[in-house]
Amino acid sequence: MESEELIRQIMAEVMANLGSDQVSFAKKPAAAGAVDASSYPLGERMPEKIKAATGKVLADFSLDKVKSGELTADDFRIAPETLEMQAQVAESVGRDTLARNMRRAAELIKVPDAELLQVYNALRPYRSTKGELYGIAEGLETKYGCKINAAFIREAADVYEKRGRLKVD
Amino acid sequence: MDEKTLRSIIEGVIKEFTEGSGKAATAVATAPSVVGTAGELKISEAGAAERGTNPREVVIALAPGFGGRMVNTIVGIPHADAIKELCAGIEEQGLTYRFIRVFRTADVGFIAHEAAKLSGSGIGIGIQSRGTTVIHQKDLPPLSNLELFSQAPLVDLDTFRAIGQNAAKYAKGESPAPVPVRNDQMARPKYQAIAALWHIKETQLCDPNKKTQTLRVEYR
Amino acid sequence: MKSKRFEALDARPVNQDGYVTEWPEVGLIAMSGPNDPKPSIRIEGGKVVEMDGKQRADFDMIDTFVADYGIKLDNAEAVCRMDSLDLARRLCDINVPRSEVVQLTTAMTPAKICEVVGKMTVLEMMMAVNKMRARKSPANQAHVTNVKDHPVQIAADAAEAALRGFAELETTVGVARIAPYNAIALMVGAQVGRPGILTQCAVEEATELNLGMRGFTAYAETVSVYGTEPVFMDGDDTPWSKAFLASCYASRGLKMRFTSGTGSEVQMGYAEGKSMLYLEARCLYITKAAGSQGIQNGSVSCVGVPAAVPGGIRAILAENLIAMALDLECASSNDQTFTHSDLRRVARSLMQFVPGTDFICSGYSATPNYDNMFAGSNWDADDYDDWLIIQRDLKVDGGLVPVLEDDVVRVRNKAAKVIQALFRELGLTDVSDAEVEAATYARGSQDMPNRNMVEDLKAAEDLLKRGLTGVDIVKALAKTGFEDVAGSVFGMLKQRVAGDYLHTSAILTKDFEVVSAVNQPNDYRGPQTGYQISDEKWAQLKNIRQAMSPENV
Repeated sequence: MESEELIRQIMAEVMANLGSDQVSFAKKPAAAGAVDASSYPLGERMPEKIKAATGKVLADFSLDKVKSGELTADDFRIAPETLEMQAQVAESVGRDTLARNMRRAAELIKVPDAELLQVYNALRPYRSTKGELYGIAEGLETKYGCKINAAFIREAADVYEKRGRLKVD
Repeated sequence: MDEKTLRSIIEGVIKEFTEGSGKAATAVATAPSVVGTAGELKISEAGAAERGTNPREVVIALAPGFGGRMVNTIVGIPHADAIKELCAGIEEQGLTYRFIRVFRTADVGFIAHEAAKLSGSGIGIGIQSRGTTVIHQKDLPPLSNLELFSQAPLVDLDTFRAIGQNAAKYAKGESPAPVPVRNDQMARPKYQAIAALWHIKETQLCDPNKKTQTLRVEYR
Repeated sequence: MKSKRFEALDARPVNQDGYVTEWPEVGLIAMSGPNDPKPSIRIEGGKVVEMDGKQRADFDMIDTFVADYGIKLDNAEAVCRMDSLDLARRLCDINVPRSEVVQLTTAMTPAKICEVVGKMTVLEMMMAVNKMRARKSPANQAHVTNVKDHPVQIAADAAEAALRGFAELETTVGVARIAPYNAIALMVGAQVGRPGILTQCAVEEATELNLGMRGFTAYAETVSVYGTEPVFMDGDDTPWSKAFLASCYASRGLKMRFTSGTGSEVQMGYAEGKSMLYLEARCLYITKAAGSQGIQNGSVSCVGVPAAVPGGIRAILAENLIAMALDLECASSNDQTFTHSDLRRVARSLMQFVPGTDFICSGYSATPNYDNMFAGSNWDADDYDDWLIIQRDLKVDGGLVPVLEDDVVRVRNKAAKVIQALFRELGLTDVSDAEVEAATYARGSQDMPNRNMVEDLKAAEDLLKRGLTGVDIVKALAKTGFEDVAGSVFGMLKQRVAGDYLHTSAILTKDFEVVSAVNQPNDYRGPQTGYQISDEKWAQLKNIRQAMSPENV
């Protein structure tokens, strides 16, 4: 059993380390142009600044524009800039992994639906050789600028190789 | 499921486990004789399974333990009778069938998908020892399906026959009405833990390095 | 001689359930298994080189993923050295705020967090859940399915469920290819009942994503993860493919949570001799590592396994608590039959019902259980009044509100008519007036006429080929004169442009305002803090149709 003193000592150590980041809901100061939890929900608080992937402004969205055909299915897609803002909101409340996911996602907006489904299926076990996965990573990077995702897919390929989860036959 | 049967399954698994055969189990399809009302079932391996070219065949894939180390479904239907019904259903539609056994996995989705991929018609059936059955098509994702019979305790002989018929109809390019789905919300409380034991036993018979085998299936 | 007392006991529902004794070697043990690893972590140069007794060279896929992405490393070594009992006390202590506990728990290893919750009783865990739930207010989710895959019934049941207070609705299929029909019927029916309800359709992963991209669903939940590598492979995924899938959803502005649960590894045959809770903890760290905002857990469809072993229901509460302690949204199961005994099923649900979770059931069957295509829920439509009266008895907000028969009939009828008009406008299969009438008054699919399933399947396949989207549905609804429903579906589609509901524990009000752990974090600090039932809400919960007032006497 650890002595009470040791516990106290470790607790002090931990709490000191937590220091500046003590409370996860405390707002980190936002960098210039950045947002945090105080701007959330962005769609309600600043709809004039939120744009769809096609560039149309959220504040201008209306049912009538859908009926007239002015707004199409493509206009109901999130923009990379919006996901970056949401990632900043997530970080401001201490949710770093959620923010990381949103940043991976921001890169994938440009990738067409069918291609995205193909990449997902290629990442499933025993579907691809290492070379194929590296090729997919390369393609995403050069075609769509998906840097983070490309690195992630290469890392997956290396782990699959080590664990024997690449395509076999 | 009576206590005695359950005990014998558990004892079987424990025995294999303590003998260390759990990890290194080499699955063998040659079974001790399996007797059903349909007669005595004899299954033997006949080499690595090939992709078929006959567009009028349905491939039936058995899980590692089916009709071998295990002989009945979870509700006591003899495996011999279950596959007899599947075959009869296919034959009624004027098609032929072929048996294989998958060793790399005990997952019924993957087993059925393997059958579909090797089938000349692109349609396959996968069946686990406990009775869970899937009708699959080769160009679907492995864990999707044409029809899934996930509640093993509800799969009876009539259902097996209907599954055979529908698989054959898909193979002929028809769009049959799916076999009516059955649902018993009390199957889980009664069977789930036991089904787990069943599946543990089946997975212990998997061999990740053994290729899918063609089977010779005979009744005596 | 046979004891008459035992004869009576043997005949009780509880004795129809299956039970097994513990068997740690194959993982048939709820928590604190003898083969569970001892907590440890060693970090060199910012990288984890040892975790829970394993060296990096021996890491499997899951260890690697968790060690590289899932643990906050700054304090990980120090937290691992802290006394687990002391940490357990902090989890349930009203004087230690949630935000402080999260700093500690997110720095723990899977084995450490299991050791910590292993020190707690269910009562202490419930105290902890009350504090650790991410969103301040609890909510509930329903299943809307039927054995006939009848779209008109799905729409009517969805509308009723929405009216009754569920914040999210989930459907699935009897036959996989009908998925687009069920998804559309659910979405439209839900918006008739109450604008802003989130809907999903649980099918194979790639298909589910496809439905979301087209605008037929607002979120996804059955993105399953597993605690051992072989089971992950049988689930046809890896931590990397699942993390990528999570990003795919976010890239289309769609909310998504993962699913896991104790018992799945035993059920699928590869538990590697570890306890169910330890393996579930690994799932939760994968979820965290992948950047999912939340999880559906609590054994879920494998509940028969933990429920059959000693302490299994305690382990289920423990896994919910771990999810919340990792700052994840928790949809806490209570959604699958596991017993023949009404007493057992209530006792199991009180663990989440009393403290409240983000979604107490995930979900509650909005149909009689014979229609529940998740193989039956722990609660079904025939239990609606029981649930309402238990809320009233205990003064607990379990997410439902009393409703009047006339209102239910009205929304069911409208939902059925909307589907009839929508299907006609979109050139799908016919819906007869008899079906509308039947769906309005039905208890379940036994009261519904049969449909031509082959025609429905063809139409469902065809609408995918035609490239139909949510926008087409909005336009069609407007054309048929259901402008209000068109407006609500439009309101749902708009959410995916803003992305606010991608955050932890997000739900929408009837006015499409987002309520989540960002703008409504749980700030419980003891009596009279955190979520409190307002006077207005209490008046609503008290007001059940069965109660007699002095004026009636």
